[in-house]
Amino acid sequence: MIESILLTDSDQQAIDRAVEQLDGWRAEHVATAELARAVVSHGGIRAVLVASTDPSVLREVVERAHASGIPVVVSCADDTIRRRAVELQVEEWYRCPSDPDEIAQRIRAAVARGLPHATALADRVERVEYEQMLHDSLTGLPTLPVMIERSRALFKERGELVVLYLNFVRYSKIEEIYGWEKLDAVLETTAAAVREFLDDTAMSTSRLMVSFTNDDDFIFFHVPAAGVAAATENEITEMVARLQRHVGGRIEAQHGEDIAALFDIYVGRAHVYFSPKIRLERLIYRGIREAANASRSIEQRERARRVADLRSSLRDRAVYVDYHPIVVTETREIFGYEALARGVMRSLRSPEVMFDVAAEADLVWELSRLCRSRAIEGIETRLQPNELLFLNVDPHDFSDPVFNENEVKYPERVVIEITERTAIKDYPKFRERLKIFRERGFRFAVDDAGSGYAGLGSIANLEPDFIKLDISLINAIDTNFIKQNLVATMVRFATDHGAMVIAEGVERAEEFKAVKDLGVHLVQGFFLHRPSHLPPPPPRDRSAISGG
Amino acid sequence: MNNPPLPPILVVDDNHDNAEIIRQYLETRGYPMTVAHSGDEALALFETIRPAVVLLDVMMPGRDGWEVCRMMKQHPELGRTVRVIMVTALDEWQDKREALQIGADDYVEKPFDLPTLAATVQRNLEMQRAVAS
Repeated sequence: MIESILLTDSDQQAIDRAVEQLDGWRAEHVATAELARAVVSHGGIRAVLVASTDPSVLREVVERAHASGIPVVVSCADDTIRRRAVELQVEEWYRCPSDPDEIAQRIRAAVARGLPHATALADRVERVEYEQMLHDSLTGLPTLPVMIERSRALFKERGELVVLYLNFVRYSKIEEIYGWEKLDAVLETTAAAVREFLDDTAMSTSRLMVSFTNDDDFIFFHVPAAGVAAATENEITEMVARLQRHVGGRIEAQHGEDIAALFDIYVGRAHVYFSPKIRLERLIYRGIREAANASRSIEQRERARRVADLRSSLRDRAVYVDYHPIVVTETREIFGYEALARGVMRSLRSPEVMFDVAAEADLVWELSRLCRSRAIEGIETRLQPNELLFLNVDPHDFSDPVFNENEVKYPERVVIEITERTAIKDYPKFRERLKIFRERGFRFAVDDAGSGYAGLGSIANLEPDFIKLDISLINAIDTNFIKQNLVATMVRFATDHGAMVIAEGVERAEEFKAVKDLGVHLVQGFFLHRPSHLPPPPPRDRSAISGG
Repeated sequence: MNNPPLPPILVVDDNHDNAEIIRQYLETRGYPMTVAHSGDEALALFETIRPAVVLLDVMMPGRDGWEVCRMMKQHPELGRTVRVIMVTALDEWQDKREALQIGADDYVEKPFDLPTLAATVQRNLEMQRAVAS
């Protein structure tokens, strides 16, 4: 049993005997001068009993005890003290001397009065928790249980409900690449766009509601108005297409085309009909599941189509390269270019999407080879003689027998970027391979450094010439001191190891200033330059012909 | 140090001594201070006090500092502007990543000295003002 402590500066024997009457209590005596301090520093105190006649001691003890939610009993030697105690709103007081019964009574009463304070506290915490459960804080949308409650009456009355499940594919990729803050921002934009869309959509007589799954999918309920038929398949298809355009447009406007190119929305739908024999929640949850499954099967179909697109892209070498400048922070002179391969076909524009599709179809090496050879062409056609080419190479590519150190004419002008994200399985063997490349004159960069929990040790293992900081560390670095500290650590580490640090994803002047102040050697980002490309080969975009 | 009143600060630490030392030091510098001795108490006081800066101890029994930080940062109204400074005995890369993940803005290592703490509070307040305006 937990012991309750009565803290007091009194040595009246009556108090000790009073405490004996209370179950599980004991008295702790301290000097008057120590009392105020003991109130906050001593653990386990249930009540304080003050006997001092010093008004300033009394005030201080009461203030501190109340700040910590501890009730106070005052033993009053005279009327002046009693008046002060009442003024200070102490929980209980008694005339000294009193008998132990009376004192025990006062202590009990004080604790009982003190209780509402503690209960109120617990209530408030509970309320904060519940509120977080009812609405998604990010999107402001109600969670599913709330939405079901709200649609219950209407659904019963109209007898039918259309569930739309909006499956946003590759939102997780945004988080992986740019960090959770970016995904939060994108979700916020998405939710705002979805709401805008609902406000504009002329279904005023029907009820349309939206909820968010807390991951990255949205759920719509559509309850047709009385006397109006539920939206037909065609109407829904048309609405979904408009929604897709609207959300995509908003995201591109606020977060750029790279992010807009990354995601797709697949919408599954299900019709739910009211039945008095079946519980309404179950009906709705089944409808949601059905709609979610439908959206997944659309996703599957779409994937199969993209694999076909990729195969034809590989055949036609339909990949072009954007060159994104990397500049010297101090002088803003161009130091080199990162080669970013993109698909010519609209469906494969984003490199992440392209490599995702390749991984599914087991075509990663083929695609990597094509991207590499396209990028290397630029050394002669695009770069100045003193500029370096930064080439993305997946650690798995080193196992590709076709990829070797003789692939390039000017190895000393190529920096191979290796992603820290990809797990390297056989470390010793991998380092052997790197050594061969290094001897030929290639240099190495660790990409996305600091993206995981892994510290500097794993970077040191690769002995890189360049360390490229993960975008999530640079995004809003000017307002976050933890990021500044991490980047400063990385710069110190790099300088000690004779390497240079590159800050990627610098989009704003404030971010540029922050990384410059931290001594970051090189910078890459939209703030200084956008990626630019050589004119791509004439498009053979079949997806454009077939209507996207 | 006269015209605009300084914004409120919430100190959360289960160790009463620590909390009290911070409270007194910052109070003499003119900040309106409130102390909470547990994560729950801090959350309960959060909406009432509307602190500009929260000094949050990581290691607390019950709801720890990480969780309190996460819940404060998710607050629909106050989460955007509040600056959360984690007070931690840890100084590892991993812990800082964790702090970032949870949405913290800054940290102070224990044992801290009071001038450093005051400087940390100061720079976060400046940042908070810049973001809020």
